[in-house]
Amino acid sequence: MSKNEIRLRRQRMGSHRTERYRNYGAVLERHEKDMRLKKILRVFVMFLITLIVMVLLIIVIRVENRAKKEAKAGSNTSPKSGVYAD
Amino acid sequence: MTESEISKENEIIERCRSDSRAFGELYEKYFDRIYHYLLRQTDDEDMAGDLCSQTFVNALNNLNRYEFRGLPFSAWLYKIAANEVNKYYRRKKTKKVFSIEEDTIRRLVDRGAQHQGDEEKEDLISRLVTYLKDLPTDMLQVLELRYFEDKDFREIAFILDITESGAKMRTYRALDKLRRQFNIQVKYDE
Repeated sequence: MSKNEIRLRRQRMGSHRTERYRNYGAVLERHEKDMRLKKILRVFVMFLITLIVMVLLIIVIRVENRAKKEAKAGSNTSPKSGVYAD
Repeated sequence: MTESEISKENEIIERCRSDSRAFGELYEKYFDRIYHYLLRQTDDEDMAGDLCSQTFVNALNNLNRYEFRGLPFSAWLYKIAANEVNKYYRRKKTKKVFSIEEDTIRRLVDRGAQHQGDEEKEDLISRLVTYLKDLPTDMLQVLELRYFEDKDFREIAFILDITESGAKMRTYRALDKLRRQFNIQVKYDE
């Protein structure tokens, strides 16, 4: 079985026939659309990163607060030194 | 391409980075070449048109990443076009098509087999087509860029993402096989 398919064309396509595919306006429009999408995507990614960082920050603060509270509660229930006089 | 032409092209590219409308000049300059390259690789006028538009859109979208490496800007466009063709065949999952202009192949045969008659040349062309069918695709790509697009080895290496010596080696091997099989003269650096 052959590896490639070779086709012979009678002649090179003339410039008048390639003309219907030549449209710089459409290329520019697609480029601008792509750039807009890229910008939106970049803003969305930044927003997502900020959101993740904030959520992580909130979690860390809450964990720290809880740990502080627990430590406080623990110190309140434990017997204080020097309370009992002889 | 002369030094002044390359520097003029670089000026346009610099302008394009801030104003994409300036790219129109390069589009007009290279549209035909890129379109024919894609048509040769797909044998489908509409598909070549679509891939050509995509090539230029990709070029515009990534113009900020373009670096001048001593090669004409067209080499970068060819590289993007070659990637688009590869993507197209990966999606389509078919054998790669090479559509060659009869005029070009006749010119090459005339150059290599000057002393042979018309009938022998016709026979040679049909045998050549069979030979090209069985040639590994990577070798065929190099031959196409070298003899149909008139690219030098540095440009071929850049377009196909291989080393310059790799491009030379592939060409040398393909031509050596051709010489042995057809008993014709094909110069390596012609």
